[in-house]
Amino acid sequence: MLNLIKRDLLLSFYSSANFFFTVSFFVLILILIPFAFGTQSDQLKLLFKGVVWIALALSIIITVDRIYNADYEDGNLDIIMQKNRTIEYLVISKYVTHWFIYCLPLLVILPILSFLFYLDYLETIQIFINLFIGSFGMVFIANFVSALTLGAKRTIFLKAIIMIPLFVPFIIFGSDAGSWSILLGLSMLSFVISIYVTAYGLRLYGE
Amino acid sequence: MNVLKIEDLSCKRGESKVLNNINLTIKSGETLVIKGRNGSGKTTLLRILSNFITSYQGKVSLNDLNILEDNLYNNKFNLIGQKNSLKDNLSIKKNLELWDIIFNETLDHAKLLEHDNLDHLINRDVGSLSDGQKKCISLHRLNYNKYEFWFLDEPFVYLDEVNTNSLIEKINRFNKNMGIVILTSNINLPKKFHKEVNI
Repeated sequence: MLNLIKRDLLLSFYSSANFFFTVSFFVLILILIPFAFGTQSDQLKLLFKGVVWIALALSIIITVDRIYNADYEDGNLDIIMQKNRTIEYLVISKYVTHWFIYCLPLLVILPILSFLFYLDYLETIQIFINLFIGSFGMVFIANFVSALTLGAKRTIFLKAIIMIPLFVPFIIFGSDAGSWSILLGLSMLSFVISIYVTAYGLRLYGE
Repeated sequence: MNVLKIEDLSCKRGESKVLNNINLTIKSGETLVIKGRNGSGKTTLLRILSNFITSYQGKVSLNDLNILEDNLYNNKFNLIGQKNSLKDNLSIKKNLELWDIIFNETLDHAKLLEHDNLDHLINRDVGSLSDGQKKCISLHRLNYNKYEFWFLDEPFVYLDEVNTNSLIEKINRFNKNMGIVILTSNINLPKKFHKEVNI
């Protein structure tokens, strides 16, 4: 499992452009808010708390093809699955690397963006905690959607259509300041379902 | 001495039966060449032997132990599929580094590539190589040497005469060290190999 984490982190380091694209995409979505709704501080604050979740959801959706599809298409998934017969370990390593590569950078820049949108320290911390917990659940969902649609080419729209409804509970509760416990519950539920379904999807691919 | 035995093996893919009552035995030091028309089940047979496909009728055993129950079996073979397992946007060197991590073995790639006359390409992006060069780099995985079996799916495709002979030599050397090689191929190979079967 540690081998796979090391390999995926090195791979993302070698293709670091992908990582910058995701961060830029996230920032650009948030930057659109003042253009569309004006620069009134109260309005910006309110909109930021909701749109930041939409930006996170879209950022995860655009990275979903990189979880398993890239390795499937070039044949590396065969080697990885042969060397890691306990598929659950492989899935957990993908959770870790996907979150680390694509969600952590977004959380790192979140405080800067929050201050630009007039949020105070307390509000920023509350959003940070919610996003931190919720992002795990969204990554678990993205993983099982990626595994179940493995081999189906150019299906980013299909994946988005499957994923967006599943992200809705996170977006509803994520906007509330004190709802971290609900998000934690949602993330744990997603983990339990996702690890089973992702492993099933990968075994199906092997067949 | 390893004995890999396939008994009454049948397998369905969707509605069609691709393998029908296959019986084969292969021992250490032997190479089995599987031939057959497109869609006849050559790759399916290799994927069964590699434990990727587990729903089939019949039995595949290594030294009388069913491969589905043998926890160590997967560490004994090296599978080279039809895909090259290379990232087009990365250099050969970086691709080989990624393989080292997966295979948990660090090879002296520069030296090994020099032996295959590929060392001058080491910093080139894989995307800029010809299909034949990609295939040669893909076969570089055979240098990871802790394996007792090689399963090779169409290994000679895209290879020129020099590289074909070099691969045949490699296979013969592996056989001499009591390794088992099972490969699929539709080209006429020299009769240096031990067994040939049509499916």
